[in-house]
Amino acid sequence: MSDAITVSGLHAGYGAHPVLMDLAFSIEAGSMVGLLGPNGAGKTTLFRVLTGLLPFRRGSVSLFDRPLAALSARTRARLVAVIPQELATPVAFSVEQLVMIGRTAGLSRWGNPASSDKKVVERAMAYTDLMSLRARPLDALSGGEKQRALVAMALAQEPRIILMDEATSHLDINHRLEIMQIVEQLNRTERVTVLMISHDLNLAAEFCERLILLDHGETVGDGPPPAVLTQDALRRVYHCDVRVHHDPTAGSLTVVPARSPQPAPTGKRRSVHVVAGGGCGSELIRHLLMAGHAVSCGVLNEGDADALLAAALGVETVLEKPFSPITPAAVERAGQLAARADAVVLTDVPFGSGNEPNLEIAEHALLAGRRVLVMDAALADRDYTAHKSATRRVALLVEQGARSCPTLREVLEQLD
Amino acid sequence: MNRRYPIWLIVALTPLVLGLCLLFGAEGLGLPSGPARRTILYLRLNRVLAGLLVGAGLSSAGVVLQALLRNPLAEPYVLGISSGAGLGAGLAILAGAAAVSFVAVPLSAFLAGMGTLLLVYRLASQRGGPSIYSLLLSGVIVSAMCSSILMFVISIAPVQGLHSVVWWMLGNLEVYARGLLRLSGLVIPGGVLAIWLLAPELNALTLGREMAHHVGVRAHLAMAAGLTLATLVAATAVALSGLIGFVGLIVPHAMRLLVGPDHRRLVPASALAGGMFLAVCDAVARTVLAPREIPVGVITALLGGPFFLILLRKRRARGWIE
Repeated sequence: MSDAITVSGLHAGYGAHPVLMDLAFSIEAGSMVGLLGPNGAGKTTLFRVLTGLLPFRRGSVSLFDRPLAALSARTRARLVAVIPQELATPVAFSVEQLVMIGRTAGLSRWGNPASSDKKVVERAMAYTDLMSLRARPLDALSGGEKQRALVAMALAQEPRIILMDEATSHLDINHRLEIMQIVEQLNRTERVTVLMISHDLNLAAEFCERLILLDHGETVGDGPPPAVLTQDALRRVYHCDVRVHHDPTAGSLTVVPARSPQPAPTGKRRSVHVVAGGGCGSELIRHLLMAGHAVSCGVLNEGDADALLAAALGVETVLEKPFSPITPAAVERAGQLAARADAVVLTDVPFGSGNEPNLEIAEHALLAGRRVLVMDAALADRDYTAHKSATRRVALLVEQGARSCPTLREVLEQLD
Repeated sequence: MNRRYPIWLIVALTPLVLGLCLLFGAEGLGLPSGPARRTILYLRLNRVLAGLLVGAGLSSAGVVLQALLRNPLAEPYVLGISSGAGLGAGLAILAGAAAVSFVAVPLSAFLAGMGTLLLVYRLASQRGGPSIYSLLLSGVIVSAMCSSILMFVISIAPVQGLHSVVWWMLGNLEVYARGLLRLSGLVIPGGVLAIWLLAPELNALTLGREMAHHVGVRAHLAMAAGLTLATLVAATAVALSGLIGFVGLIVPHAMRLLVGPDHRRLVPASALAGGMFLAVCDAVARTVLAPREIPVGVITALLGGPFFLILLRKRRARGWIE
């Protein structure tokens, strides 16, 4: 496998201000790589170096093993195309005219574009689904269409490398995906190497097989998305708490900035242990955190929706193996968390033989004199235990002093 | 693309319109008669040709400057090229250089125009390349300074030759040196051709220097070439005819509405239409108050202004994004 881009010992910057320090990496031909990093990390400077816009001080940059400095402007334009964040031109070109500008490097000065140029332009417009808009002036296009026209213009260069400089950051989710899918298909079918700068970590993780994380002009992470997008690395680079989330349903990886819970303006801060499962506790946990309460959670099975949310929000949770009945050992650990809490909330989770042991946590807490709040609405309908034993045990709890709170709101009011 | 036929229409229209202009004279409509008819026809032909050349030069310079500065307000005046060239040409005329060689006036105009452009460029570039706004701003200021210096020189100049300079300053297509017309006949068409050959670069540069670079344009070289060519044709036009405003601004806009923004068509269309426009304006200027002549610059503004406004209202935003 040859390398599309090889950078070694690269130093570059503006005036006396160095931006890139001893940067070295290579990008395999035909790969799709994301370049990430906070503002000022040097991503754009690196792009400016790779396209020959910014002369660099030391080091070497090669495209397909040819030194960048040795490439003529025309040859370079046939190797590398850039899709910018947006197009700013005061001239109302038609889509077709704009795409034709992508052919500039090969155009004859005498007369009209050759039929080969026209063919390439047609193909680029077909690829980006712009045929019906070809005569439309740029100012009559929507944001997504304009961005597709920029992609088509890059395609008209017939490049072997495409650099995307936050090319989708102005677009809504739908058009973002549309652009990325066009580029991905190009990468798959034509083996065009793609290097994309993105502030959207999730988009980069979704489409790129490799991510390079830059910070202060140096590489601080390089590898497949799960290896680069770790909570520790992201916290160090972005100086903010994030949660990294593996979505078991899509097999994808999601990064969520974690908002630190704001203390409630009124009311007291309490600690609350939540018994939940299957997503029944998610809303409660979020509201408790927003109200400034300290939350613990359990016992939950690994991979459970509530468990994922609790992990994302940094809630201390007792976990059991996936799809396994809850063991006494786990109940005991959860009981310790509940013993430290001011109150225990039993959410409206469906009960079966697997999670029935969770009821013990509430029972022990009540015996120990803790407040126990029970969301017991329609309990019988979600009781799948033998002989409705869960229903009986919850009724007993209420009899012995647990507070029945059918709705979320009542729970929150009780805690205030 | 139904924008194809107007360019051929313009090409076909040009000899017709120029021929019609020959019929306009101080004695009224029609071919001249009498013993001096050959001379009169010859003088009219010179003026029509001068109109064609000057209009073509100013318009194509306007096209280039609007593309390179990515600003619809750019034209030879705004950047100080015209005023600088005017100062150079005015000084040469007052110094009597025109009598030494007909090349002296256009050469002086070109050098002064180029010097003004370089000065404006230097003033506008603080760090790295100049921003468009500082370029326009310093252009307007330097332009005003050049005009003031020219007026100052004229005010202290000896009386003889003063009339010709003032008349020239107002804009006048009367050919005062045959050699100059011949020289312009080489320089302006050559410059327009060179500008047309730059069309792919001009198209790309309207997307900004970086995008142009990405599609394979040597942006700095192309900008330098474009600015030099624009100065060359504008300064030659100024040397030939004095200061005629409006043509370089409105003709490119009108043509963008008619043939679209692609410079492959915009450059020839603007050059021909600019030439026709100025020839017609001159025909009007020399007949409407005959036997008195009105400065042709007055007509260009009076005819061109409303025409431009109508076009702008009718087909707003075709060609330019507002």
